[in-house]
Amino acid sequence: MNHLLHRRSFLQRSVTGLSSIALASLLKDDGLLASESPIRPLIDPARPYAPRAPHFAPKAKQVLMIFCSGALSHVDTWDYKPDLFKRHDTPMPGAGGLITFQGEQGNLIKPIRDFKPRGQSGKMISDLLPNIAELADDMCFIHSMTAKSNTHGPAENQMGTGYILDGFPSCGAWVTYALGSENQNLPAFVAIPDPRGVPQIGPRHWGSAFLPAAFQGTSFNAQKPIPNLARPGSISESTERATRDFLRRMNDKHLEQYPGDSDLAARISAYELAARMQLAAAEISDLSSESKATQDLYGVNDTNANKAGFAKNCIMARRLIESGVRFVQLFNGSYAMGEGVGNWDGHKKIHDQYAVHAPILDQPCAALIKDLKARGLFRDTLIVFVTEFGRMPTFQKGANGRDHNPKGFTVWLAGAGVKPAYSHGATDEFGYQAVDRVTTIYELHATMLHLLGLDHERLSFYNNGIERKLTDVHGRVIRDILA
Amino acid sequence: MKPRITLLFVLCAPSVLAAADFDKDIRPLLQQRCVECHGEKKQKADLRLDTKPHAFKGGENGPAIIAGKSAESPLFKRISTTDKDEVMPPKGEPLTAAQVKLVKEWIDAGAIWPESDADKAAVVDKRLQHWAYLPIKRPANGNSIDDFITAKLSENKLSLSPPADPRTLIRRLYFDVTGLPPTPEELHSAIPNPNSEIEKLLSSPRFGEKWARHWLDVVRFAESDGFEMNRARANAWPYRDYVIKAFNDDKPFDQFIKEQLAGDAFNADAATGFLVGGGKDRVGSKDPVLTANQRADELHDMVSTTAATFLGITLNCARCHDHKFDPIPTKDYYGFIAMLQGVQHGERLWRERSETPQKVEEKQARPAVVAGLNEDKFAPTPARFVRFTITACSTGEPCLDELEVFNTNGENIARAAKVTVSGTFANGTNPKHKVEFLNDGRYGNDRSWISNQRGGGWAQLEFANTEQIDHVIWSRDRCGSCSQRFSDRLATGYHIDVSDDGKKWRTVSSDKGRTNSAPKGPQVYAGTFQTPGPTHRNHRGDPMQPREEVTPAVLSMIGKPLSLPANEPDQKRRIALANWIASPDNPLTARVIVNRLWHYHFGTGLVDTPSDFGINGSRPTHPELLDFLASELISHGWSLKHIHRLILNSKAYQQSSAFNEAAAKVDSNARLLWRFPPRRLEAEAVRDAMLAVSGKLDLTMGGPGFDLFVPNDNYVKVYVTKAEYGPAEFRRMVYQSKPRTMLDDFFGAFDCPDAGQPQPKRTSSTTPLQALNLLNSNFALQQSAFLAERLKKDAGDDAAKQIQRAFALMFQRDATADEVSASLALVKQHGLPALCRALYNSNEFIRLN
Repeated sequence: MNHLLHRRSFLQRSVTGLSSIALASLLKDDGLLASESPIRPLIDPARPYAPRAPHFAPKAKQVLMIFCSGALSHVDTWDYKPDLFKRHDTPMPGAGGLITFQGEQGNLIKPIRDFKPRGQSGKMISDLLPNIAELADDMCFIHSMTAKSNTHGPAENQMGTGYILDGFPSCGAWVTYALGSENQNLPAFVAIPDPRGVPQIGPRHWGSAFLPAAFQGTSFNAQKPIPNLARPGSISESTERATRDFLRRMNDKHLEQYPGDSDLAARISAYELAARMQLAAAEISDLSSESKATQDLYGVNDTNANKAGFAKNCIMARRLIESGVRFVQLFNGSYAMGEGVGNWDGHKKIHDQYAVHAPILDQPCAALIKDLKARGLFRDTLIVFVTEFGRMPTFQKGANGRDHNPKGFTVWLAGAGVKPAYSHGATDEFGYQAVDRVTTIYELHATMLHLLGLDHERLSFYNNGIERKLTDVHGRVIRDILA
Repeated sequence: MKPRITLLFVLCAPSVLAAADFDKDIRPLLQQRCVECHGEKKQKADLRLDTKPHAFKGGENGPAIIAGKSAESPLFKRISTTDKDEVMPPKGEPLTAAQVKLVKEWIDAGAIWPESDADKAAVVDKRLQHWAYLPIKRPANGNSIDDFITAKLSENKLSLSPPADPRTLIRRLYFDVTGLPPTPEELHSAIPNPNSEIEKLLSSPRFGEKWARHWLDVVRFAESDGFEMNRARANAWPYRDYVIKAFNDDKPFDQFIKEQLAGDAFNADAATGFLVGGGKDRVGSKDPVLTANQRADELHDMVSTTAATFLGITLNCARCHDHKFDPIPTKDYYGFIAMLQGVQHGERLWRERSETPQKVEEKQARPAVVAGLNEDKFAPTPARFVRFTITACSTGEPCLDELEVFNTNGENIARAAKVTVSGTFANGTNPKHKVEFLNDGRYGNDRSWISNQRGGGWAQLEFANTEQIDHVIWSRDRCGSCSQRFSDRLATGYHIDVSDDGKKWRTVSSDKGRTNSAPKGPQVYAGTFQTPGPTHRNHRGDPMQPREEVTPAVLSMIGKPLSLPANEPDQKRRIALANWIASPDNPLTARVIVNRLWHYHFGTGLVDTPSDFGINGSRPTHPELLDFLASELISHGWSLKHIHRLILNSKAYQQSSAFNEAAAKVDSNARLLWRFPPRRLEAEAVRDAMLAVSGKLDLTMGGPGFDLFVPNDNYVKVYVTKAEYGPAEFRRMVYQSKPRTMLDDFFGAFDCPDAGQPQPKRTSSTTPLQALNLLNSNFALQQSAFLAERLKKDAGDDAAKQIQRAFALMFQRDATADEVSASLALVKQHGLPALCRALYNSNEFIRLN
């Protein structure tokens, strides 16, 4: 059978009281095991979400990944280029004949908002996202990120799963596969789609692909609860109780006939976990217990329905992190409903479109970061703010917007294990190509796993002939940004 | 990237310095500090420093050691640099100055490396001795499955379990062979002689449906494009029907292979749906790098899937470098690419279903219609009216983004014309598709007209005065800078007529003479075939770095070599490849397929890495049994049903699944088959069985699938699971129109593969979401209600009889007295549907013993 692992063999292997990982690390210390051998976490099928030890002492225990779908322009936000102001509306040197995704380049165009120094560090950030900008002293920027594809589908795949092709497990699935979760009553991995809709590659961001389905992210937000979570209205509480009691008796009786078969017991516990999850997940989504001050901080009651919706999702994200959920993915921006309409894909009308998108993101996201910090959650939580690629410093020829640019863009991190008020790497004078300490998404993922105490070269799962890893055969930890 | 080093090394440099002793100083140093990453197990940068032939051959950056010239030797440069990103070894302390000096002296003294036994052995390719690459050999020491199984069991002091009781065996046979439970009546009639069911079940049309699902997992079949747009492929379903029919008809497996690779040559058009069953990034762009990469990825999917499916090899690993474990050099990968270079994603005419085979009029061949610009030239003619009439369309209602009519002065006179049309999509309420966009001078789907009529419609222009015109330009989506271009709704059959009065019309042009103009007849998403261009090896897999040209070829070191001339036509390439794979001489083909059958019957294959028979894959638990089955397959005309029969009739298959603590201590997962390994039903079987017992299962076979998602026409398709299912969704789940990487809320939680990548082996996990879905979903409640209705209909009003009927339908057994009384209590208080809901959730229902 293709179980995660048979319970029996799990127990047999565990008799020494050592998990295979602990054992592996002992052997490694003794030089008995090649340091590069793959590590497949030992998973008890009855408790797939039980917390599991990392490979080494972690700096962070949880991850909040904020994903801006559609490619948020780095030159209009985080990556300050005075030359873009100076050389506004002149051709980009060396860009003659340059063909990007949608075609030819127009002139260099200055950022759509002014930049000013922020916080103690004086980091130059634009006015597009003024509330987030004020948190500059907490942020660790990587200005030299690069992506392998300049089209949304493959590039979102890469940021979400490490591969540009379809069909690979998401980072969150890898992390929960490795580490389980600290909260047994909630899904280990939660994806919170934007109120406007799912991101461009949809559930691939939280899919488990060939990893066991147990490690799929569960997708819900303040607008749309977990499917089939609630007891249906047509079933009374007493019917529910009687049905569950009857089922439990049937299953217990059945289990007596098959004493050695652990997955039967696993399924019985899954029903118990489901019952607890019904309560816990409903509670997470109930924001009524949040104070008025908190609600206002996030903008829950804003008249802009998309902003209010995103604000609720941000509060939910904080509540999930607070509850010990291992991996929370928060999306800003949806699939394309027309170019740049539902997300950050500002090809033709970037001024107008960013004026719509920025206020939805800014206050709620800033509130989330501040709130996490205020509640002491920075200690264990790594925050990763990403998008699939950057945008061109030029406008597209004959248009008022910027084309895709995978050659250099910005992501930032905050919280556990990373240097605050720090900037790593740089793009050229226009923000076109990464030139200093050029960084890849493999490296970002490797670093994320490293902070969680996981060796990206060893965390693996065998599929279709290969020991698969989040970082494939690439990447190294970006030591420079570690606190 | 570092510069490519192409310096040659000099073998016999004069020894002028006091040489470091290689065996004393250098070899131990290499062993301790280099070989971990540059040795037998790992070869970073393709470099090995553990044996002489490897060390001097160098890695992907060329030779690492230039004898006599330490300053030019990358080995020395990398251990002596002060650049932290460059220095070797990258981990641990850097080498000491003394060690660096020893290396320098050794290289400068001529890099003398006395040959050890290991160095000599390194030139012998042990990889070719791998079991799977050796010919299949029918073993002499056994003549049945049970001979081999019992022999291995007794070696381990184990034995087969007693036969399963007839009820359990019949339930097992039904689910395993057909994916459905036996009805109480079927069970009853089978009890006296369960073995007689085997032939009956293998002849049932349900058999092909069940086993096709397994095959579709292996070949990553889905009916949408994947990637960002992930739009549906309306005509991909014939491939599924082809596979179902092939299994039901027991099509010889060698023929099955040939048809999937070259069905266009074997009167099996739908079969090549295999080649293009994978994803396709439809987002077009002007960026040549992106376009080249998209095509390279498509071909990568085709060759990887072909190699993994039929040969159980990981050819995909040789895209950027020689295979790390198996004897598959990169050139073999590109030889395979050349084999399939002519294959493009897309639809073509499904000739078996066409009533009249299409005749192409070669004489005045004009280009086929395209989504972009189409031009119709004709002799100058006076016209006050021009009408563009569409008679056939690629899909749905036809769309035109612009219709331009040019007078003999070359002026587009359509802009000022008055437009009338046969009708407009959604009565013109869709903001993107309006009549006035036909001649607004703006291109692209967002400003276009769509007819209100599937497959047809017309648009007419009236000019202020009669004009002398000589050509018309029209397009479906001519948006040059859009992130994608639409090619659906393309007018493929049309005529252009002119008139002076709007009453009497003369045809001035039409699709006639266009190559492949109208796809007249049913289409199938089974690929189109073109004259292959040259294939190059791409350096590090990068299509922007083409190197030498590669001719079509198969594996150079495994099986019999075969290579074709560079100008071999497409179809001949694919036939040659198919013949090479589907040959009794190929050591892999037969072994791989019999192992897949074994895998699905027993839950684990004899080789438990069913798509990797390579050096890094698992060894077979019973190598001789595997060869026995492979030989049987070949000697029985590649009949898969023959193998099914051998397995299903074996004692190993028919034994009990009861647990045995002593045996489990020796072999906890029953890989040696001391019992039949019990398992959870797969997602499809759970759904089909729920419908079967509720009496709602619709056994209609074939044709387009049903959709579990709400219809959605956004150009980036959004998949939302339908809240309610009705009879349209009550067919077997194999007929679900399966979108790529999109799992429905319910069954996605039961480890359904998402077809993003091939999945030769499913995981089986147990999650609380499964419980929530089976307890609370509309589907579960709906089926509980239907089951309750059925029980009343079948068993009348007597609650005890209803309960017995429920147990018979779901578990193929009688309820015990205890179960009856507990059920009665539940039914009395909470109704019959409550009982049905509970039973659907029970372990016994979802478990196969």
